[in-house]
Amino acid sequence: MFLTWYERKLLARIQLRIGPLYAGGPGGILQPIADGVKLIFKEIMIPYKADKPLFLGIPLALVFLGALPFAVIPFGQHWVIANLDVGLIFVLAVESLFPSMILIFAWASNSKYPFLGGLRSLFQQVAYEIPMWISALSVVMLAESLNLVQIVNAQQKIWFLGPAFLSFIVFFIASLAELERLPFDLPSAEPELVAGWFTESSGAIFMVIFLALYMKVYLMSCLITVLFLGGWWGPAFLPQPVWFLLKALVVATFIIIPRGVYPRLRVDLLIRLGWTRLLIIALANVFITVVLLSTGVLSPWGL
Amino acid sequence: MDLYIPPDITFVVLTTITLLAAIMALQAKELIYGAISLAISFIGIAGFFVSLDAPYLAMLQIAVYVGAVVVLILFTIMLVRRDEADKDEMGESGQGAAGLWIAGLLAVSIAGVAALAGPNLPTTPPAGNLPISQLGPVVAVSYSVPLIILALLLSGALLGALVLAKVDR
Repeated sequence: MFLTWYERKLLARIQLRIGPLYAGGPGGILQPIADGVKLIFKEIMIPYKADKPLFLGIPLALVFLGALPFAVIPFGQHWVIANLDVGLIFVLAVESLFPSMILIFAWASNSKYPFLGGLRSLFQQVAYEIPMWISALSVVMLAESLNLVQIVNAQQKIWFLGPAFLSFIVFFIASLAELERLPFDLPSAEPELVAGWFTESSGAIFMVIFLALYMKVYLMSCLITVLFLGGWWGPAFLPQPVWFLLKALVVATFIIIPRGVYPRLRVDLLIRLGWTRLLIIALANVFITVVLLSTGVLSPWGL
Repeated sequence: MDLYIPPDITFVVLTTITLLAAIMALQAKELIYGAISLAISFIGIAGFFVSLDAPYLAMLQIAVYVGAVVVLILFTIMLVRRDEADKDEMGESGQGAAGLWIAGLLAVSIAGVAALAGPNLPTTPPAGNLPISQLGPVVAVSYSVPLIILALLLSGALLGALVLAKVDR
């Protein structure tokens, strides 16, 4: 939740502003709470002829889906709620439920801007899921496991950032696109679509949707930490979960920074980047991994 | 092996959800509610896979069916207008001949693969409760023939889809 405050502060620094300041605490750190209180007390406007059960239900489902994958994210050697053997696929599968939910919500709000935004979001997320899965594939080959705990354990000696560097780049760009962050925020392009697929949401509904989106940001940074940055491994003077959270925060910072730096892409560029460039780079890294593993330069458990 | 299934509460709940959602999918007045209940039904089937000790299959069921197939169905519902969908387009005769050719080629290649390697198929399924890391060798080595046949079928379907998409332009 404090990611919203962090993002606003960071973007303000990029733009030589100060950012939220007056909500109490050092640097206005209580701003998210003030925002939340404000949004709760606002009226929930339900558009005329909107599909009421779906309009109210989908945001809750989004929060549920955003929170669900945290059950398998390992924050430390024993700090994991459910140590699933198929953890990675579980996270990616739950992620793949988002676009249809978003499209249904956009349809339910019975307005054309949300609908256009929902369609764009669907295109984008479905297109970028494929490079994402394939770039995760080379990590899986290196770790010989889909279990997130074992993937982190395999990185005790060397982070997969090294042997799977191209995958890391692809995964990062694809997760920017999945999160609809700039430069891939076509689904919520303000000049064209008001606010994209959540244009019609207001009050607590808007708050819940934003909570889900920021949970997804944090989820993706945790996933990148697990897959490429060695999870909880670090020098022993800090406990494992602290290392994990620090790394995730650094990744989240790099997810946020493009918003203050880059302009928005065009639709055709976006689709071409996803299908022709990222897919090929990800496949190239799969081949690199195969060569590394089969020539014995790398054994599956690190160097 | 006896056929008696204990009245497992998970099983009962899952069956109820899956069947109700499937009935809803067929009966819903709004097509989009039908699509949503289809998604719920797929999730119920994924629950069955989990209860049958096949979590990998369950996750793929969610990712592929709920994540992709339902999205395709939603697309079709929202983008294709009903009067356009009802129009029945007949392909040209040349396409029909080409389609027959490709179908024949596919049939010949599938039959060839099956005849060459068919007798080597294992007749007994692998022992139950297979860990996921062992799944790859089983599928790619012991069951390579069905895998190749599936791949051929899928590539045929992909070619067909490409041809259909090309006609529109």
